[in-house]
Amino acid sequence: MSSDETVDLTRRRLLQTGAAVTAAAAIGGCLSSSEEPDPATTPTADEEYAYGNCWMCHHACGQELTVREGTAVDITGVDEHPRGSAGPDTPGTLCPKGQAELEKLYDPDRITEPHIRKDGELEAVDWDEAIEFTAQRLQEFDDEHGAEKMLDATSWSTTNFHEFFWGNLYGTPERIGRGRHVCFGGPHLSGDLMGLGANMRFVDYQHSEYIIAWGRNIFESFAGQWEPKGVLEALDNGATLVVVDPQHTPTAEKADHWLPIEPRTDGALALAMGHVILEEGLYDEDFVENETHGFEAYEEAVADKTPEWAEDITGIDADVIREVAIGFAEAAPAAGIALWTGVGQYGEAQKASQNVFALNGLVGNIDRPGGFRMWQAPPLANPFEVRDIDLPNNAEGTTPALRAYDEYETYPFRHTTGIGHTVVPEMVDNGHLMGIFCHYDNPLTDGSTQAWLEALETMDLVITIDAYWNELTRHADVVFPEAIQLEKDTLINYAPTWSAYHDRRWISGSKAVHEPLGEARPGFEILVDLAEEMGWGEFVPWESEAEYNEDMLANIDYTFEEVAEQNFVLLEEFGYEQWQENGFPTATGKFQFDLDQEEGYAQSAMELGIETGPQWLPPGTWGDEPDDEYPLHFYDTRSVFFSFGADQPLAQLHEQYARKHTLETEDYRGNYLVLNPRDAEPRGIETGDMVTVESPAGSGELMAYVSERTRPGFTTAEFGFGTGNSHEEGMNTMLVHDDQHDPVSSQPDRHLAVEVSANGGDN
Amino acid sequence: MSVHDDHWMFYFDPNRCIGCHACSVSCKQRHNRDADADDWRTVSHVSSGEYPDFREIPISMSCMHCHDAPCEQVCPPDAIIKRDEDGIVTVDRDRCIGCHYCAWACPFGAPTYDEEGLMSKCNLCLGEGPGGGHGQPKRETPEDGGTVPACVDDCVGGAIKAGPKSEIMQEVSEEAAERFEQGAYEGRVIVEPLEEDGELADSIRGGDELSIVDMAR
Repeated sequence: MSSDETVDLTRRRLLQTGAAVTAAAAIGGCLSSSEEPDPATTPTADEEYAYGNCWMCHHACGQELTVREGTAVDITGVDEHPRGSAGPDTPGTLCPKGQAELEKLYDPDRITEPHIRKDGELEAVDWDEAIEFTAQRLQEFDDEHGAEKMLDATSWSTTNFHEFFWGNLYGTPERIGRGRHVCFGGPHLSGDLMGLGANMRFVDYQHSEYIIAWGRNIFESFAGQWEPKGVLEALDNGATLVVVDPQHTPTAEKADHWLPIEPRTDGALALAMGHVILEEGLYDEDFVENETHGFEAYEEAVADKTPEWAEDITGIDADVIREVAIGFAEAAPAAGIALWTGVGQYGEAQKASQNVFALNGLVGNIDRPGGFRMWQAPPLANPFEVRDIDLPNNAEGTTPALRAYDEYETYPFRHTTGIGHTVVPEMVDNGHLMGIFCHYDNPLTDGSTQAWLEALETMDLVITIDAYWNELTRHADVVFPEAIQLEKDTLINYAPTWSAYHDRRWISGSKAVHEPLGEARPGFEILVDLAEEMGWGEFVPWESEAEYNEDMLANIDYTFEEVAEQNFVLLEEFGYEQWQENGFPTATGKFQFDLDQEEGYAQSAMELGIETGPQWLPPGTWGDEPDDEYPLHFYDTRSVFFSFGADQPLAQLHEQYARKHTLETEDYRGNYLVLNPRDAEPRGIETGDMVTVESPAGSGELMAYVSERTRPGFTTAEFGFGTGNSHEEGMNTMLVHDDQHDPVSSQPDRHLAVEVSANGGDN
Repeated sequence: MSVHDDHWMFYFDPNRCIGCHACSVSCKQRHNRDADADDWRTVSHVSSGEYPDFREIPISMSCMHCHDAPCEQVCPPDAIIKRDEDGIVTVDRDRCIGCHYCAWACPFGAPTYDEEGLMSKCNLCLGEGPGGGHGQPKRETPEDGGTVPACVDDCVGGAIKAGPKSEIMQEVSEEAAERFEQGAYEGRVIVEPLEEDGELADSIRGGDELSIVDMAR
């Protein structure tokens, strides 16, 4: 299909035609029979259905599309889908993001041709030239710098093929991911080492009697709609919902207790709750004795952490702390804590999350009905093994720069991970990293943005697979236009674990609704072509993503075709208390309050002078503390309309986001700075004013939304807007971020001290 | 005047509404409407109080297809019709003269006007697009092959329901049914009472004086 033909099929084009036809009908009173009916609004036209697995926030809620004459015209959820419903016999839906993937499917702003940098300028070329050019540049890069200086920054590709491409074949040990490196590094590390696993976010909601949403806004920012649906079901069943959050949210609105906590004092609250639970004798003695390690360190850590002590720090009444601690422990094991980025993106978050997760071990809610659930993934196969491919490991003998060079000895996180987001610009300066491959990944949104912008300039080779123009793609040497999920044959192999089915493995897949827009292609095919051009053809026998998916399902009794036909299939059951049989995946084989036996962690702790067990680390130990010059806390938030850079450019979403803030009559469609009237009034700021946010690192401008929703002194803005993002209006919150991070985990610290001022003049 | 058993109605449960606007987007996309066009289904966020005694309640509204259809009564060219067969209020855009009388009469602020100046609003997904409901055959329930209205179909919290009154009444709480029978919201829509205590909840319980419409404005 040529790009011209594809453009003609866009929904926008149809929409314009449709509007013209409607106008004619309105004036003339009838529709001439020679006019084609508009498929977008004519249900009698030839109608087909197709499935998708939503890739807007990448949590894969099932999508069902109505397709008329080859054009998708409507989209909705899939009933009983593991991620998009509340489980058996319940309807599937799509949140605003998931619905707007329909708009993305025909978005004329998408990149639809390959581009390469020639004589300093990005130029559209055909695929052959783009692949040939890229292979040549990669070869030159290897010759000049060595493959180990290339960083694989793949985020949301729909297969794991990149790991083999960059690690085994190209031969670089450098890899940066999301969960551990930029999303919730502290809890990711705590969960992993304590025995909960790195996916430490989810409660067995439907069976829970007591849910604590700790720094989580489950009704607005969820990992699949099964989460809010599950919590609503629990509330219907009489469960208690507690929300710990400095800001009022839709989740706080529905809570039995909203604890409007002083920011970054979660660790103190958790220790005090533990103190109460021990004092009241409400802990699970059997579990603690038989299944845990390091309880003595925990007892010692909470001994003097009374609710009165915590009241001074957290601002939460001691009586409320007592009530919540007792309520949680009495409901256990049917009591769970949902925690994600809220206690994940500040400087002391690793230790804070360790204090919170210790409560799970204390009350013995782990992998028991209604508590913390250890979900199981389907047994996906390694397609290289399925095909008996003798894959080399060309990265063998190489060491990530973080561990290879003395320059990085001051970073304690090097003992538990191979890279940190905020240290990359320094590595580029030092000549230790000279190239990057970004596949649906935009480091400019993840912290140290100004340093990263310079690093992109310095790097010798920047390759991106993306759908939109932004400061990353404009700085690249190669821009490959990626087909979106709805245009691909996709098997969701990104953690198909947590879901509305508490006891079933599952898998979800879908086939392309139709050909990709313009010349866009699936990222998998791009990498396969590149591998062939690099001379690795013998290792990559797959013609398509569907074939690769087929091999991934080698251990499962369904073909890709069969999965895609039904959108999802439920697989074998798994029970509770899996630790009875398997133990915990930790150094001691037990749930660990104390991480003294984890060698890397113990080394980091020693260098930092902190305990290996639970410990209270006050805010400002490593993070910013507001002062006279920069008196306000600044933290970013997630609204239900946006996740990463994938959806911000879509009109339906930023329009509803504006309407939610009653600012739709303004031309501005960026993010809003939410601040309390007590902070706004002295600064002469009103809702709708443009304001400047400033820190020692830099500044940015956005529109103010003055609301009692947020705590005095605590300002927030939505993630994913402004310079560096695909929707460039508004402010990239990371423009005011320097290199603050949690030294234990490497997670960028997004909690910053700022000053806000009115810009004045007309908006 | 009361609602016929086989006339379609909307039901809304603020306890299950998470304020996500999925209903607004779903409606827009089903009916192929531009993002910046006025919403046929709106979500308002009604807030009160000072931090931390702050509340914000989301309310989703559209045309309620009122049993007494005030818009129909004031429409000069009789473009608006309250249909006998299913109770759905439709607009014949060939007759509409864009006079906005319906907007003045509507208690829910439901009519919207496009660039041509003609009225369009929720047609309960009887058809698609502006005026898509006019002249359509009787609306069937999904069990009988009819579509699920877009807003209901994608309501993440399951807060919106629609159907013939006799069927909807089977699914509502006793308290909501009772209040409806007593004439809450003038019998135009069934709304679950808020479970939480608080000023707004009390106001809703108070009934007639402060309707959800006033709250949303």
